[in-house]
Amino acid sequence: MKRLNALVILATITLSFLAGCGGNATAGNANALTIGAYSIPESAYDKIIPLFAAQWKQQTGKDLTFKTSYAGSGTQSRAIINGFAADVAALSLAPDIDAIAKAGLITHDWTQETNKGIVTESVVSFAVRQGNPKGIHDWADLAKPGIQIMCPDPKTSGGARWNILALYGAALRGEIRGIAKGDTKAAYNFLVAVLKNVKVFDKDGQTSLTNFEKGIGDVAITYESSVLVAQKAGETDQLVTPTSTILIQNPVAVVDAYVDKHGNRKAAEAFVNFLFTPQAQQIFADDSGALLGFARGVGEFGAIVLVSANIPYKTETAAVYVQGAIESGDYVTASAISLLLLVIALALVIIVETLRDSATSGGAR
Amino acid sequence: MNAVMPQPSQTSAKAVRPWLKGILIGVAGAYVGILILLPFAGLAFNALGQGWQTFAAIFQDPNAVAAIALSFNVALIATAVNSVFGIIVAWALVRTRFPGRRVVDALINLPFALSPVVIGYLLILLFGRLGPLADLENQLNLSIVFDVPGIVIATIFVTLPFMVREVMPVLATLDREQEYAAATLGAGGWRRFWEIVFPVLRSSILYGVALTFARALGEFGAVLVVGGDIQGQTETVPLYIFRALNNREPGAAYQLALLLAAISLVLVVALDRWKRNHPA
Repeated sequence: MKRLNALVILATITLSFLAGCGGNATAGNANALTIGAYSIPESAYDKIIPLFAAQWKQQTGKDLTFKTSYAGSGTQSRAIINGFAADVAALSLAPDIDAIAKAGLITHDWTQETNKGIVTESVVSFAVRQGNPKGIHDWADLAKPGIQIMCPDPKTSGGARWNILALYGAALRGEIRGIAKGDTKAAYNFLVAVLKNVKVFDKDGQTSLTNFEKGIGDVAITYESSVLVAQKAGETDQLVTPTSTILIQNPVAVVDAYVDKHGNRKAAEAFVNFLFTPQAQQIFADDSGALLGFARGVGEFGAIVLVSANIPYKTETAAVYVQGAIESGDYVTASAISLLLLVIALALVIIVETLRDSATSGGAR
Repeated sequence: MNAVMPQPSQTSAKAVRPWLKGILIGVAGAYVGILILLPFAGLAFNALGQGWQTFAAIFQDPNAVAAIALSFNVALIATAVNSVFGIIVAWALVRTRFPGRRVVDALINLPFALSPVVIGYLLILLFGRLGPLADLENQLNLSIVFDVPGIVIATIFVTLPFMVREVMPVLATLDREQEYAAATLGAGGWRRFWEIVFPVLRSSILYGVALTFARALGEFGAVLVVGGDIQGQTETVPLYIFRALNNREPGAAYQLALLLAAISLVLVVALDRWKRNHPA
């Protein structure tokens, strides 16, 4: 019986180590594509991927397997920079792709690709409770005391950064009651006032909206498209579009370093091109509510969408400000906080150990 | 874990008024019922509400199957590694005196105190593309972070203290006379361990295995950070559940959650039975 126990344990260990050695088998499979995407379009990709795989099989006779990961756009961007070998990066906003390029992993000019690398578009909007009980109609209402806002964390979520850009841009353009056009100080103060009302900064846009649907908060600042999807899924979210907002453009790019490592550049490029076909765009429209301006007129949104070239310049101060704060601070802050937590944990462990020691030695005496 | 519970003596039992006893039993029942049974029943209701067929349908989703397989493999590896090394560490800490022993003893508790997310982040700093070990990994064609080995390492780290902390107290109270006697009779070290020490440790090792396995199966934060939640590759069952909930697929989430809960329940019940059949 005892012999048997030992044998079982030994067998388990051997098997386990064998299983553990399978870890590096994933590198260099030319017939697999890894997609690193932001959280919102997951349901659309779930439908687009099988369609593309079928078409690829028809054209090349090869089976293409997919691995997908969905997270906040900033999280995903940093994961790819840190070694998550995604062949295609489909993120929420251009700076997150640029960060990957800056790290030397995207070596081509991705903004020169189809539609300047922008695969879907939407606008920053609000989701409110059925009947809009808090009377939230525009940005100014978000700064009212007692309003609880759901907005994801700008450190990890691209949607959150779009939200902040839309809000700050509307304020700078003088579209918010009581704030003069071009008054950067007042616009900044308004931004702070709204952010103070944020109840939860979730890690990505999808989590933020589903938490809103679970009953937290009075309003969620989010993509118009994700509210439309929620409504299709049977949620009672009501869409409110502010009078002045921002056009969200979601980029996609092939990550050169990883496709070259895996030897699957052709498949990756074909997949990205497939995203721009009417077939895929229809799925984006149906399943993530986001679509390209050229696929459907912007005016059809029924919202007053400001899509003019000068807006990015006007909002650039905020973009640079927020982006800069995140970019410059991120690793340092993350490392500092990690270090702090580590020190606290160590201190706790040492205190417990000391207490235990003095307790036992006291008892022995 | 084998501490003998003091039996309530007859006199003290009589001293408790019947109504008070009733209230105490009621409170205990309600406490356990509300905190454990009610959520479990809710989970079972939600997962099985659509019938067995829909519950079985979860096994048609290749990502769900992959998540179950990965979770089990990782938990098995972590349990095996921590069982072997946990017993060795416990042995060294109890039976030997070496410089830095107390530091090691204290460090064993670190995974209890440290946020798993930080553990994941530290692994990325170390093994990530920009980390100091990146070149070595490339040369060996190893992929650690955003891949299965990273998840295994993170899980081993998170579950490290359980076996050590289960085995140490029993080992410390073990009377060594039997071992000395066996030694005088010519039994070697290995034989003394298997025939004298191991049988005494067996139930605490079993508890250590169960706790390590359960904790490894449930780990979320460290695995999310170090693995990047890649479906079909680094997505464990808890990550699958979280993603399904976010995707408005509560059915799939409930079903896998029920599976996890059922495994925990089976583990607990099996341990309890074993304990009753093998009184220390």
